[in-house]
Amino acid sequence: MNRQKYNQIQVAVVLFVFILIAIAIAGNNYLLSIIGVVVGMVFLALARSKAGIRPDEREVSIQEKAARMTYAIFAPTIGIGSFLLFIPSRSGWSVFSKGEFAYLESLGMVFAYLTLFLIAVYAISYHFLSKKYEGDGDEE
Amino acid sequence: MKNKLKVYRAMHDLTQEQLAEKIGVSRQTVIAIESNKYLPSLGLAFKIARLFKVQIEEIFSYEENADENERD
Repeated sequence: MNRQKYNQIQVAVVLFVFILIAIAIAGNNYLLSIIGVVVGMVFLALARSKAGIRPDEREVSIQEKAARMTYAIFAPTIGIGSFLLFIPSRSGWSVFSKGEFAYLESLGMVFAYLTLFLIAVYAISYHFLSKKYEGDGDEE
Repeated sequence: MKNKLKVYRAMHDLTQEQLAEKIGVSRQTVIAIESNKYLPSLGLAFKIARLFKVQIEEIFSYEENADENERD
């Protein structure tokens, strides 16, 4: 199996998963959509290993940049989002702290924890990689 | 960084696909290197130089100002 064949399989699997999710959502069957996604991922991983496709260094470099950009956009967005959701509920505005808007505080809390989790994962992985790639400090 | 990869590839009568297979990268990577849109790692640059049996400097040449834009 070569890369071209793998690309064709990838398109077919993505289409299959997409259709399965559409059917699952239409039928309110969320388990089916989860199974579809998992099966698709496993199948693609198997096809990739069978084709002997490894991401080359350019792809890795693109993935690094995309991950950095995702972090730079996502972290401040949910951080500010959580802050904005907290303001109405904590400032005692009766409209937002009661009734149908009461969920805003919970949502803000979820966003805040998500932000903290994201920053923690980044800090831990940064520390780990920094240790991994540091020199041993030998001076001659 | 400038390179003569396209020239050397033509001299050895290789297609982009064949060169990509020999150095273990995708064809897109070869295209990106040839068009100076991607700087190969030192390891890959050595691999290319070894394939064509030349010194690395014969294929890749460093230019002071061009480097900043290519890395971003």
